[in-house]
Amino acid sequence: MSRREEPLGRVSRLLAPSVFGLLFLVAWEVLARVNQIPVYILPGPLLIAETLWTDGPSLLGSLWVTLQIAFAALIAAVILGLGLAIAMSRSRWIEASLLPYAVILQVTPVVAIAPLIIIWADDVFLSLLICAWIVAFFPIVSNTTLGLNSTDRGLDDLFRLYKATPGQTLRYLQLPTALPYFMAGLRISGGLALIGAVVAEFVAGTGGSETGLAFRILEAGYRLQIPRMFAALVLLSLAGIAIYAVLDRLSHLILRRWHESALPKDR
Amino acid sequence: MSETSVADPRVGGPPAVSVHAARLEYGGVPLFDDLDFTLAAGRWTCLLGPSGVGKTTLLRLIAGLEPATGETRIVANDGLALTGRIAWMGQQDLLLPWLSALDNALLGAKLRGDADRGGARRGRAIDLLYRVGLGDRLDARPAGLSGGQRQRVALVRTLMEDRPIILMDEPFSALDSITRWKLQELAADLLVGRTVLLVTHDPREALRLGHFVHVMAGRPARLGEPLAFDDQPPRALDDSRLLAREAELIRRLASAAEAPS
Repeated sequence: MSRREEPLGRVSRLLAPSVFGLLFLVAWEVLARVNQIPVYILPGPLLIAETLWTDGPSLLGSLWVTLQIAFAALIAAVILGLGLAIAMSRSRWIEASLLPYAVILQVTPVVAIAPLIIIWADDVFLSLLICAWIVAFFPIVSNTTLGLNSTDRGLDDLFRLYKATPGQTLRYLQLPTALPYFMAGLRISGGLALIGAVVAEFVAGTGGSETGLAFRILEAGYRLQIPRMFAALVLLSLAGIAIYAVLDRLSHLILRRWHESALPKDR
Repeated sequence: MSETSVADPRVGGPPAVSVHAARLEYGGVPLFDDLDFTLAAGRWTCLLGPSGVGKTTLLRLIAGLEPATGETRIVANDGLALTGRIAWMGQQDLLLPWLSALDNALLGAKLRGDADRGGARRGRAIDLLYRVGLGDRLDARPAGLSGGQRQRVALVRTLMEDRPIILMDEPFSALDSITRWKLQELAADLLVGRTVLLVTHDPREALRLGHFVHVMAGRPARLGEPLAFDDQPPRALDDSRLLAREAELIRRLASAAEAPS
């Protein structure tokens, strides 16, 4: 007898989390009502949904500002991350010189350095972009570097025997080998770019004329508009889920023809 | 050794390959020391021996994938350089998972940047894939092919290189016996007249395919006098000579495994 049952079907996989989420929301609503918890401490889900409906349009503009920062940071992380990973795979010297600093950037909490960056960079958008980039950059560099160095040894020999140039080996062997690693890094970085943008906005406080969603959350908190704060949080979560879903789908589409991660298990 | 005198009658045919005084150390232990070995021109030479004796290393040495040390000389008897005249088929199929069967077969030409005038090479690759029974799987990725099918694509890729010298490292060992039997047949048929070195663990495979069957043993490794055949492989499995020789070959392998190292 197996400890776990048969794998779940498509419908069950959607149904199970939906039912659980619904039960959770119902319990929350009941608790909030029965205990008469004040809305400035914990609003019920119905009130949050109502606030999302009424305040949503005004919050969407702020969401767009945050998303712009996150996307720009992600694109910068992809370009610079790929470039650095390729440079490091070509030369042990470059790798030895730069990798420690990439690690230092990664392990330093962005909250701690954000104030400095905001002081140094004139432009608010630019300083927020740099903060989000620092957070999103490392998974792409480290994953892609790992992928570029993970070529099959037999294939390395084959390419040597075929007298492939370093450029050909990079293009026809190393980059395709690294693609699944890169996509895994990209999925992590997508979420991190959004988190980085939000953290930077929290530190920056005010965002000038255009303000992001993080500032809306702070603002609502100061004014004790807790339902509005929750509504902004919901939007933020939805945006994060959407980014992950899009990148996951993209990864599947790119790799489905050949990579183990995207192939059906029972062949 | 006697087989050096077996020369290819055709002018400009595949050369014999000689390894002279090969020396190779791993961590201070000599794997080969003063080893001489010859691949007869246009013939199949099979190499058997216990695991770890250095069969694959010798093959890699000839392919130029291991650095030669000391007095080691590896030469073709026609005086031309070996580089660019060797094709290699490994134990794993070594197909690129992101390329189709056809594109894998054409990989060598793509890396050399050769122009395919009139699609002749592409046509030849398709033709060969049909011959190995993969005519309907041209666009399949390796993940969609069985182990035997992948190894057949690797065989086609090796043939597409059209090299006079073919080095094969246990190319059929991971296959079931029927598939192995079919692929041996196919390889013997398609590689007729080339200088082939086949490293294998299977005495019967060596006896089916080899003109010369060597046993390698000891540390540093030595090669005994080969079993020689003068007919054309592949030999039938029920060939009565094979049974007698298989017994002798297994005796040799057994004593090779016991040899002091």
